[in-house]
Amino acid sequence: MSSDAQHEAHALVREARDLYLASDSATRLLEELEMRLQEPLRLAIAGIVKAGKSTLLNAMLGERIAPTDAGECTRVVTWYRYADSPSITLHPHVGPPRRLRVHRVDGQVQVDLGDLSAEDVERIDIGWPSRVLKSAILIDTPGIASLSQDVSLRSTAFLAPDHSPGSADAIVYLIRHLHPMDVGFLEAFRDTAAGASRTVNAVAVLSRADELGSGRIDSLISARKVATRYERDGQFASLALGVIPVAGLVAEGARTLRESEFAAFRTLAELDRNHRERLLVSADRFVKPGEDQVLDDAVRAQLLSRFGVFGVRLATSLIRAGVEDSSDLAGQMVQQSGLMALREFIERHFIPRSTTLKIRSVLDALEHLLREEPQSGTTSVLAGIERLRLTNHSLRELSLLSQAQATGLPLADEDAVAAVRIVGGQGTDAAVRMDMVDATPDAIGERVNADLAHWRTLMNAPLTGRPAIEVCKVVIRSLEEIASQT
Amino acid sequence: MTGSTSNSRTPEKRGSSGQVAERPPTVAAAVDEHANNQLAELIETVARAASSMGRSDLVQRLDHTHERLVDPNVRVIVIGEFKQGKSKLVNAIVNAPVCPIDDDIATSVPTTIGYGAQPGAWVIKVRENKESHDPEVYREAIPIDSLAQYVSELGNANNEQGIRAAEVLLPREILRGGLRLIDSPGVGGMDSAHALTTLSALASAHAVLLVSDASQEYTEPEMQLFRHAMRVSPNVAAVLAKTDLYPEWRAIKKIDRNHLKELGEVPLFAVSSDLRLLAATENSSELNDESGFPKLVAHLRADILGQAELIGARGAVHDITFVLDQITVSLRSELTVLLHPEDTPRLITELEITKAKLEEFRSRSSRWNTTLNDGIADLIADMDYDLRDRLRRVMREAEESIDEGDPGPIWEQITEWVDQRVATAISETFVWTDERSRWLTEEVAELFAQDRNTLPTIEVAGTNDLLDVVDPLPAVGDGKLGAGEKIYIGVRGSYGGVLMMGLATGLIGLPLINPLSLLVGVLVGRRAYREDMGNRLMRRRMEAKGIVRRYIDEVTFQVGKELRDRMRTVQRTIRDHFTGIGDEMNRSLGEALQAARQSADRFTEDRDQRVAQLQGQLRQLEQWRGQMPELPPPAPVKEVSSR
Repeated sequence: MSSDAQHEAHALVREARDLYLASDSATRLLEELEMRLQEPLRLAIAGIVKAGKSTLLNAMLGERIAPTDAGECTRVVTWYRYADSPSITLHPHVGPPRRLRVHRVDGQVQVDLGDLSAEDVERIDIGWPSRVLKSAILIDTPGIASLSQDVSLRSTAFLAPDHSPGSADAIVYLIRHLHPMDVGFLEAFRDTAAGASRTVNAVAVLSRADELGSGRIDSLISARKVATRYERDGQFASLALGVIPVAGLVAEGARTLRESEFAAFRTLAELDRNHRERLLVSADRFVKPGEDQVLDDAVRAQLLSRFGVFGVRLATSLIRAGVEDSSDLAGQMVQQSGLMALREFIERHFIPRSTTLKIRSVLDALEHLLREEPQSGTTSVLAGIERLRLTNHSLRELSLLSQAQATGLPLADEDAVAAVRIVGGQGTDAAVRMDMVDATPDAIGERVNADLAHWRTLMNAPLTGRPAIEVCKVVIRSLEEIASQT
Repeated sequence: MTGSTSNSRTPEKRGSSGQVAERPPTVAAAVDEHANNQLAELIETVARAASSMGRSDLVQRLDHTHERLVDPNVRVIVIGEFKQGKSKLVNAIVNAPVCPIDDDIATSVPTTIGYGAQPGAWVIKVRENKESHDPEVYREAIPIDSLAQYVSELGNANNEQGIRAAEVLLPREILRGGLRLIDSPGVGGMDSAHALTTLSALASAHAVLLVSDASQEYTEPEMQLFRHAMRVSPNVAAVLAKTDLYPEWRAIKKIDRNHLKELGEVPLFAVSSDLRLLAATENSSELNDESGFPKLVAHLRADILGQAELIGARGAVHDITFVLDQITVSLRSELTVLLHPEDTPRLITELEITKAKLEEFRSRSSRWNTTLNDGIADLIADMDYDLRDRLRRVMREAEESIDEGDPGPIWEQITEWVDQRVATAISETFVWTDERSRWLTEEVAELFAQDRNTLPTIEVAGTNDLLDVVDPLPAVGDGKLGAGEKIYIGVRGSYGGVLMMGLATGLIGLPLINPLSLLVGVLVGRRAYREDMGNRLMRRRMEAKGIVRRYIDEVTFQVGKELRDRMRTVQRTIRDHFTGIGDEMNRSLGEALQAARQSADRFTEDRDQRVAQLQGQLRQLEQWRGQMPELPPPAPVKEVSSR
């Protein structure tokens, strides 16, 4: 079904291309849109300055590619897409794209802008042979609320342009503590991504989660609590699908854990408890040269910069709890860091919908173009867009979900919760939609029939209002689809 | 806990002596407790002399001086964004777990920590007075270990208990000199209403510690906070917290220092509260040094408390000199008449002329009085205009956005946006008025000092050689030391002085800015709005605009009133202060005249005795004058940059 929609969308873009042959900029845009339909999902990583965006990106890739630094670091929007061999392409605002030499220091890719300043660069494209990038294009953005206003403006302009649909299909927004700036930005993103308030494409990450609890070993547990509070926060719930605490540095370190580091951790873990705790009192103490230090000064400094105080504490306590080898340690650390939870979330909510999200972004961009620069014949394309939006069920599911997120559904509480679940609010799998994860297909089928009866009754009830009937229609259609699958 | 023992070991003493070495030795004398005690004794002696001469007005003045000297009540407010470690910093400074700490947002109410021989805690609440309908402030004692239930977000979410502030007294050496630390709720960007509470508290504080953790360099909202703080408070310092957690804190510190350079001289201290608290439990001075706190504590003592004490001492010297001068005037004119009876008519004439001039000086038409009255009137008018202008702009923008679409679905965002914009507008006006009123205070003080110097000094031939020790009557206040600085204390004192008074202006002073009341306004509006949801779009827009307009109108009215009242308080404080000085001078001159007239008729045998008595008294006064410590002239406060 989705591929039909994709074909239709494709056809619409091609139809529009014929109309705009005269305009270079429009043609370029339409070419891009056409390409975008073929590409994987565009997932942007955004957040206020120093939230750990590049670190998280590295963790997701499992390689330290994006440069990270103590100071503000990412200044240009950077795209990471799949390629067979590493490549860097720089797209200036003016002039043709330039190929740059791939130069890595300490694993991290160094981009030399040459004679251009950050303002002149529209984006940097990095091609990388990483499996993760096959299912999604990752976009690293400069921080919002950056002290250099223009850096932060570049991000806002890219993700949430005032007057045109954004370039990202979905967004991972990193927050540290709920900041008014964050809410403002997410709202802006929802407004544009939505076009007309349809949003289910943002997930918030409570980043640097280990620092909330001052790096104590139970930090992530309290971070989870904070995240839950944010999720319940009414204002926030309408902006993001969920809040997931992630300790980015630990995740990045674990994904790239080396055998030598494992050995170092083991040495630390073998120390007697008092001794180890004395070393870990502060970052300064840990790296300070002294007699009671066990490892090389350089090794300790390296461990600290790669894992942070919390990471070192976590690794040693995991080893003491019985972790035997480096891959086991890496696995457990990734699990603890919250990266797995984030990945599961993306796999459950964004990847299955990637075609739909993409089509929606493309249609929005196309509609924007058609409305801004009308030509003879654009009305028929516009009608096509409208038809596609109305007939494509996954698009309608999406819009219902965002309606539920933004304003709530015109239904009784119980029904509203069920409706969100059935249209895929918690995941698109049939069992998840029916809230019967471990049930047999037959049981699910029965349940679907029962629900269908319920919703049909509700739709036909004389007291049900017009808006509620619309919701019922979408829910029934989803149920029918589930029925046809089982 | 063991904190008290580590405190008595006072690593801060070492620190403060390190600072002292960089300063002229006289400062050390002023900061030195001994010198202060001497001054306090001198005040008492002079007060006794004044009281024996029946000058109760001067005694009262000296009493106030004494109070200020003993307890300068230096308020240091700790501000910063959420979760930067403000409460923990306060705890670490006093080495006691007073302020509640949580991984989620903790502090919801400002908490003041001051010195008390016995530990104790209070919360300050407001209740409606049934008779006068004015809000009434009252204190309620609470067990000190249950403070968290009152001031934290957990125990008192959204401040549902209606607590305005909390106060804790602790027997800690560092607080003894009159230092008050104020832990404030986190500020989330300058837009939020929280920020306003903080901002109005800033105005009543002597110094500000702006806390940011070492996880990242300053963000734009933080720099904005710095800018505001520097406009409102004379003494701002930056604290880089949690250095134990971040290996790169030195790099961050360097970047931050560069950011701070753009703002001016702001000392920056890198500290780790966890290390300091650990140092207290393990009694390890090495850890304490590593925590970076000795430097911060030295700054609190030398640069904040020390400066305040210096200003206090200067004020005391100024007051004593003033009182001595006042007493001297009548004694000297009496002595002149007794020694040179032939000069009596001339002396009386001169005294009368001076008195007439003083009358003029005291009158409402005097320069300083006119400047003050005009200045306040202008200020109120400008403030009114400024506030209206800003709020009208908000209203216009709100109306535009309502017109652009259907206000129904986005009503919540609109109200929130309006809230934020209104809060920003008010805080801008607030900071601006605060600045202007301070400027006006100094202007008036300067005029006052100038005019007073033009008053003729009473030069009487032949008396000087009788009293060789006596310098010619020194001009009261040497211009720069000027009333300006003193009034500054006066005004600050009255804002931050007594607890109630300080709260009345600082926190309750702007009740409407309180997020709660803002919400009420919007909620009322929202209800009225919902009822009409079924109406047509045009009608909805009209309704929405009406609500916003009514709301902004209400805010303009209430905030305008608050700010006007604030200005009036400033005006009254300044006027009372200077009028008081004028009254005292007037009385001195009156007594001098009376003494001169009376002694003209005195019998001869009495005379010699009286002359001896007067000379003795005058000599005594001069001796006291000589006992006063010499203080450095006032200089810009921020001269020491930390390293």
